[in-house]
Amino acid sequence: MTDTDTQGGRIVKLAVLVIAALLLFAPFLFQDIRSLEVAARICVFIVLVASYDLLIGYTGIVSFAHTMFFGFGAYGAAISLKQMGPGWDAVIVGAVAGIAVSVVIAIAIGLLSLRVKAIFFAMITLAAASVAMVLASQLSHFTGGEDGITYRTPDIFKTATKLMVNDEGKVARLFGVKLNGKLAAYYFVFASSLILFTVILRLVGSPIGTVLKAIRENEARAEAIGYRVVAYRTFVFCFAVVIASLAGTIYAIWLKYTGPDTALSFTIMIDILLMVVIGGMGTMWGVVIGATLLVLAQYYLRDLMGSAAEALSDLPLLPYVLDPDRWLFWLGIIFILLVYFFPKGIAGTIAARGSRA
Amino acid sequence: MSQPSLSTRDLTIRFGGHVAVNAVSCDFRPGELTVIVGPNGAGKTTYFNLISGQLAASTGTVIKDGVDITKMAPSARAHHGIGRAFQLTNLFPQLSVLENIRLAVQARSGEGWRFLTRVESLTELTARAERYLEATKLERVAYLPAAALPHGDQRKLEVALLMAMEPDIYMFDEPTAGMSLDHTPDVLDLIGEIKHDHTKTVLLVEHKMDVVRALADRIIVLHNGELLADGPPEEVMSSQIVRDVYLGKSTEPA
Repeated sequence: MTDTDTQGGRIVKLAVLVIAALLLFAPFLFQDIRSLEVAARICVFIVLVASYDLLIGYTGIVSFAHTMFFGFGAYGAAISLKQMGPGWDAVIVGAVAGIAVSVVIAIAIGLLSLRVKAIFFAMITLAAASVAMVLASQLSHFTGGEDGITYRTPDIFKTATKLMVNDEGKVARLFGVKLNGKLAAYYFVFASSLILFTVILRLVGSPIGTVLKAIRENEARAEAIGYRVVAYRTFVFCFAVVIASLAGTIYAIWLKYTGPDTALSFTIMIDILLMVVIGGMGTMWGVVIGATLLVLAQYYLRDLMGSAAEALSDLPLLPYVLDPDRWLFWLGIIFILLVYFFPKGIAGTIAARGSRA
Repeated sequence: MSQPSLSTRDLTIRFGGHVAVNAVSCDFRPGELTVIVGPNGAGKTTYFNLISGQLAASTGTVIKDGVDITKMAPSARAHHGIGRAFQLTNLFPQLSVLENIRLAVQARSGEGWRFLTRVESLTELTARAERYLEATKLERVAYLPAAALPHGDQRKLEVALLMAMEPDIYMFDEPTAGMSLDHTPDVLDLIGEIKHDHTKTVLLVEHKMDVVRALADRIIVLHNGELLADGPPEEVMSSQIVRDVYLGKSTEPA
């Protein structure tokens, strides 16, 4: 990757390393439940957004159905855990079922429409995603409808589980952190996300990664020098949806709940798009930065504004403008500014800046 | 005379009522450089597109070494040894020069489907790509994105991509178009070297008469999609019918 050889590129890499270190030690650094919730969500979304960037940033495929595949993985795990009980066999069955459904649908969509113009493909994915949402809501005996499904996960992830006990038979602590099932669940999420992200990184750095970029750059010429473009597109689409589906399974295990809002809604699709755009399309480091910033903003911007409004309560107008209820308004303004000042996304723009100096 | 490596039989394409290429039958042999001439709109580039697969023939066949490739996708034809360069520069603009060439080498070697292997670890591919980089004198810009090159170097890269495909059939569509005069010889030397290999078949669309004279073993003339004349350069250039439709109209086309 030549874009990381520049000074700006090194800054981006350093930022990613810091984020990775914070996520690795998150349970010890931030000892409250909400922070751990945020850290787990960041891990899962890095994987989900990275798989989406393979499509939109590397290959130039615009899909609006990525959340649907995330949902297949999540619902697969949720339904099997509900039906079969909380065991690893249920997790595996759910994950495999999610992957199988995702791949079958991806191939169907791909064969139907990856040959045609990008806009038709985008529309077909949009239609498929809408159908999936309607189905999830209608098949309520199976999916729990709008309420979703609550279930138990393997025993090791129960908060009451003691990974280690001290002399008195109580749960042991390390640096003040209880070594319980919650900790195990977090490290399950962290490790599986890390593995999936590494696989994506390897793909991007492999010969196939160069072919994908070539297809994005000049589809006709890629075909002319001997690459079967339809086959590569179908492959990367299937690859990306398998990763998305696995990310869904991981998130379902973490949340112990799966419903339309956590796994299928278009809000998630929009979040994914924003994360890619903010971080920078076509760069995996950008994905890490974009996903982290957006999740942090969604969880903490309101708090931040609350305390800002309080601190400025003596001044006229400002507390009113900074009222926590207006956090979405400010999030919007931040996005517009980011896109304006970082047209290639944060990672893309900073990496390019270093090369000019 | 050796067996033809490439033949077209009654090759025809219609766009609505317009017949852009009309029943063109022609054989091309290894070691032979054929220049295709004709006025603008004669169907030269369309004929190329039919051979390399960017367009599908309405009727007729394209045969490469005895294999009917008429129905194949461009990528499959590339694997059958058809190499095509384009009239307008047609590269991977944001990728580096080296990456551009390596893509062509990689397509040839069939390593395109390798994943989970780092590109950098495939040193054989890179070494081969570097050979073409040297052959086209592009070493000093190897790590620049293709879009950053001056026009002349982009044309050279176009030729390097074609060479890296290691095809049996080289198809050049106005390789010196828009190039300054001092850059033109570089590209022509490269084409000359390919020709002297004697195992390669070269097809060249070219307007510049000095280029045609310097390189052509044979000239075919297309006019309104039809094959008008076919023969050694002196003979074709001096024939009355060719002078009327082509040379007579504009004495020295740009």
